[in-house]
Amino acid sequence: MPKIVLKNITKKFGSKSAAVENLNLVIEDRSFITLLGPSGCGKTTTLRMIAGLETPTSGEITINDEVVFSSEKGIDVPPEKRGVGFLFQNYALWPHMTVYENITFGLENLKWEKEKIKARAAELMDMLKIGEYAGRYPSELSGGQQQRVAIARTLATGPKTLFMDEPLSNLDAKLRMEMRTELKRLHLETDSTFVYVTHDQLEAMTLSTKICLLKQGQLQQYAAPLTVYHEPANSFVADFIGSPNINLLPVVVEKAEKEKSLLKLGDTQLHFAYAGETSEIASGSQLILGVRPENVLLSETEGDFTAKVYSTLPSGMETVVRLEMNGIMLTAVVFGGVDFAVNQPVKIGFKGDQHHLFSMGDAGTKLASGSLRK
Amino acid sequence: MSLWHRVRMFCRKPHNLILAFLFVALIVLTFLPLLSIVLDTFTVHTSEVMRIRGSHAGDWTLYHWRKVLLDGENSMAIFYKPLWNTVLISLATCAIAIGFGGTMAWLITRSNIRFKGFLSAIFVVPYIMPSWTLALAWLNFFRNSLVGGVPGLFTVLTGIPTPNWFAYGFLPISIVQGLHYAPFAYILIGGILKNMDANLEEAAQLLHATRWQILRRITLPMVKPAILSTFLLAFSSSMSAFAVPAFLGAPVRYHVLTTQLFRTLQGLNPGYGYLMALILILIGVGIMLINQKVLDNRKSYTTITGKSSNISLFNLRALRTPLSYGLGFLLTCVTIIPLITFAVESFIVEPGNYSWSNFSTVFWVGEGATDIANGEPGVLRNRSIYNGLYNSLVLSVLCAFFAGTIGILAGYAIVRKKGTWLSNAVNHLTFFPYLIPSMAFGAIYLSMFALPRGPIPALYGTFSVLVLIGTVKYLPFATKAGVNSMLQLGGEIEEAGIIMGIPWWKRMVRIIMPIQKTSILSGYLLPYISCMRELSLFILLISPSSAVLTTMLFQYNEKGWNQYANAINLLIVLVVLLSNWIINKLTGASIDKGIG
Repeated sequence: MPKIVLKNITKKFGSKSAAVENLNLVIEDRSFITLLGPSGCGKTTTLRMIAGLETPTSGEITINDEVVFSSEKGIDVPPEKRGVGFLFQNYALWPHMTVYENITFGLENLKWEKEKIKARAAELMDMLKIGEYAGRYPSELSGGQQQRVAIARTLATGPKTLFMDEPLSNLDAKLRMEMRTELKRLHLETDSTFVYVTHDQLEAMTLSTKICLLKQGQLQQYAAPLTVYHEPANSFVADFIGSPNINLLPVVVEKAEKEKSLLKLGDTQLHFAYAGETSEIASGSQLILGVRPENVLLSETEGDFTAKVYSTLPSGMETVVRLEMNGIMLTAVVFGGVDFAVNQPVKIGFKGDQHHLFSMGDAGTKLASGSLRK
Repeated sequence: MSLWHRVRMFCRKPHNLILAFLFVALIVLTFLPLLSIVLDTFTVHTSEVMRIRGSHAGDWTLYHWRKVLLDGENSMAIFYKPLWNTVLISLATCAIAIGFGGTMAWLITRSNIRFKGFLSAIFVVPYIMPSWTLALAWLNFFRNSLVGGVPGLFTVLTGIPTPNWFAYGFLPISIVQGLHYAPFAYILIGGILKNMDANLEEAAQLLHATRWQILRRITLPMVKPAILSTFLLAFSSSMSAFAVPAFLGAPVRYHVLTTQLFRTLQGLNPGYGYLMALILILIGVGIMLINQKVLDNRKSYTTITGKSSNISLFNLRALRTPLSYGLGFLLTCVTIIPLITFAVESFIVEPGNYSWSNFSTVFWVGEGATDIANGEPGVLRNRSIYNGLYNSLVLSVLCAFFAGTIGILAGYAIVRKKGTWLSNAVNHLTFFPYLIPSMAFGAIYLSMFALPRGPIPALYGTFSVLVLIGTVKYLPFATKAGVNSMLQLGGEIEEAGIIMGIPWWKRMVRIIMPIQKTSILSGYLLPYISCMRELSLFILLISPSSAVLTTMLFQYNEKGWNQYANAINLLIVLVVLLSNWIINKLTGASIDKGIG
């Protein structure tokens, strides 16, 4: 069963800075991994390097303990011998072949017997519910149907690892939702490893067993979706995951102690009690405080702090409220549809102990997590 | 990684091998010949030994440079006057082409003129026909007896003798070439007008701008890059044109650089010729560099990608009907009447006498009589003309096959390795022959392959040298078609095949080629038709056995055997139009869609 290991993979295009830098990654068998990040972060490049469509500048890749690429040993196994399937963003269906021909072309090439090919194609078309389109050309299908054909074609040869490069980004929102559930089922049904590239954090959160978050070719965090959400490694991860975005507020440490510290957010004083591991925090240092919008408690009467409603965005199931607290802007999420008047004064508080302190600057390393009180 | 590993990995990818091979081949076939021509301008040639005192063939000399550029009156006659004529004609050609083609583009896309389909179709015909077609038609109509020979149809019908300035030289050359390149302007400018977002003009209309203001302040600035591009293309094309000035200029000794080049290379001063070829190349390169700058700047007009579906058309009012019919009539004259005159001229026994009794089929099916053209048999019974037709067809098919095939492979490899040093180098090298005027390119190959060089035997006078030069010369068209179609296709369509282990040749034959068959076929069509109507590229390199139709046409015309020249010309035009029509019907590709 395939386990994929990337060791010190670096990819440079020309003499420019690295697209992927010194990436180390272990993709467990039967997992559903997403490579997530903003555009240009190197996620597609990483995927293509594992598949063999792109050659790394240096490093080593093993699939199922077999070295498929090694810059040192001069090994570069071509893509077709790596036993992988690839699903392209624009499906890459061959427009001059019918659905049936698209699915069976690879099998014919493997010199399968006619009967076997027929049976396999029927099985796949049945599984993906595209049997009735067998004689049609790709241009005669809708985006969702094309996607299904592409999946069937990729699965035809029975690859144990499936690579997907933003496969849902060309579909409309409703279809995308539908395909997500299908993909998740497919992952179980085919009993294989999925590596999935996306820039949509929601997709990554809902689909994967583990998220690999990249920024400018560098690994930021590699963990299960909820871990990434609740325990972000740095302020970039915290900011990238979650919608609406996390509140990242500039604070100054007034007084640092062993168990807690006193923060100043604008004119407001906050007590931050550490929970779990904590790095050294010095008095007087400037830090970033991260607070998830759903952890901001909003009430008309009770709460530690006073704020003013700036605007309200109700969407039915939940309501996003922008608040102003002594000149600092803050986002809160309330369950259900609530409509506050503009400039209405409200009380707020902070719940739970999963608020985070990050260092200032580019790295934005997480220093501490804990709870916030008045 | 060790060097050996690198080489092995490099060689495993077919596109790498294609690029490496093309790189070497193109260096030998385009770059080295250029060096050879530079050397030739400093060398004493066998035919010049008598004139350059105390010299031996092969000696180093500055004679040619001095004589052509610095020798007062002499240089004036050999070089500066023809250069001046070339520039004047090119400018006039551009003015006519852009004026006529641009107006036509505006009329078709922005006004309510009638018969748009017909006008548009007939307007591009002069570009499909060989450039000298109109020149020969002009001669048939307007030639006079002042320079010897018989007067043309116009004088015969009206009794008015045409003056020299009207019949020959600057005026007819500019008009004929202008009409030939007007479709250039029409297609480039019309393309932009057609795709220009109508909202841009409508927005101005809502701000109370008048029609005239919109045209002047919005539309014209938008098409300015296309106009400039047309200007440079038409300028460099007419600068390197040979046939038209040869036909219309020679009777009054009106010379341009290309005709001068031909004279000197054929005569006793090949050194002069090579130097002029070099200068032509430099001007061509200069123009292309400017053109690339212009095209780069065009990126700023990204708004040109809208749809202009329901723009309100300019109402020509009272002018509409007369203008529609007038244009229709004029264009019909320009395209169809020339063909009729060729046919008529080829049936006339005694030139200039258009009475019915003078008509005869002797030049078509006659057995050949001693009193007519040295006993040359009629066109349809003429061995050497069949030989020429056969040569033309074989040459065109071979050049198209090689150029087209190499073009696809080059396009494929260039796009796959896009951005790398080797890919850029090959891309530029394949484009290089486009910069070299045909006549100069012929001169280069003459100089290069007159003697055996390394493993390549002396090819001068052979059919192979024609195939070679045709293939290399039309490689830019084919490569451009190849690159465009591969860019359109994107890499993923092929990668889907790679992942499944489909071998390279199968990916090419079963996936890439079937999908892009139209654009790939146009990569074959362009070289085929260009080759069919090519004169200046081959004229220096043919021998009697390797003569093609176009060079025979030129020779018959030089000898003054009008009927044969007209008959052959009719043959060429018909073959070209027929080929374009057949291929257009079969595949949808057409030469007028691949201009540029």
